[in-house]
Amino acid sequence: MEEFNIIEKISNEVTTLHLEGFLDAHTSVELEKSFEKLIAEKKFKIIVNFEKLSYISSAGLGVFMAYIETIRNNAGDIKLCKMSDKIFNIFDMLGFPILFEIYKDEAEPIEKFK
Amino acid sequence: MENIAKISIKSSTKNLIEVRNFIETNAKKQLSDANIINQIILSVDEACTNIIKHTYKFDESHIIEIQNYTDKNQFVVKIFYSGDEFDPNKRNNPDMKEYFAKYKVGGLGIPLMKKFMDKIDYMHYVNNFNELTLVKNI
Repeated sequence: MEEFNIIEKISNEVTTLHLEGFLDAHTSVELEKSFEKLIAEKKFKIIVNFEKLSYISSAGLGVFMAYIETIRNNAGDIKLCKMSDKIFNIFDMLGFPILFEIYKDEAEPIEKFK
Repeated sequence: MENIAKISIKSSTKNLIEVRNFIETNAKKQLSDANIINQIILSVDEACTNIIKHTYKFDESHIIEIQNYTDKNQFVVKIFYSGDEFDPNKRNNPDMKEYFAKYKVGGLGIPLMKKFMDKIDYMHYVNNFNELTLVKNI
């Protein structure tokens, strides 16, 4: 597996970013680029699927904080789903569920965007 | 004190994966709880990231040395580097309600280290040499 990879899938108005590998201070730049691109394309309904992400550090968490305000100001959202317990614990420990909707599967956030 | 394992990396974020692999290999020899192992890996990653980002401003020409050993019931990681004094123990954790209300970014590495490690020691020496010690009770 590559160190980090993002697969983008678009269905109707919703873009899903499937993250794979390790999201750290080195690879988080790639995720920043993806959000910058989506914002430039005015795609503000975003789901991030963590199913194949095996590691996240605070640099990865910071990417979501960096773009959530802009995206919500444009009537969009970043909804998170399919985290392993290991990764959910990092988000949960810092209180991220206060700000972000986190779902067990991908179908539910898709429904929420309708 | 058992054998000391060592690794030296250049101060680039691309080497964080090497640091994590080093810690994981050593931790798995001493520990069986995957959750604890991940907490240690993440804490060392956060410490090295802060050094690369804040001390060296992403200048890749510096060297960071990481040592690891077990001593009695402690899994110890020492990080040696040169640069300005910065004691993570003196940094207060952010108020997370305010953090989210104001959409703040960054500053979460030290809170994670403090939550996951049982002890963090920091020494700054007169020659601008730093020794950061992360301890997990095992």
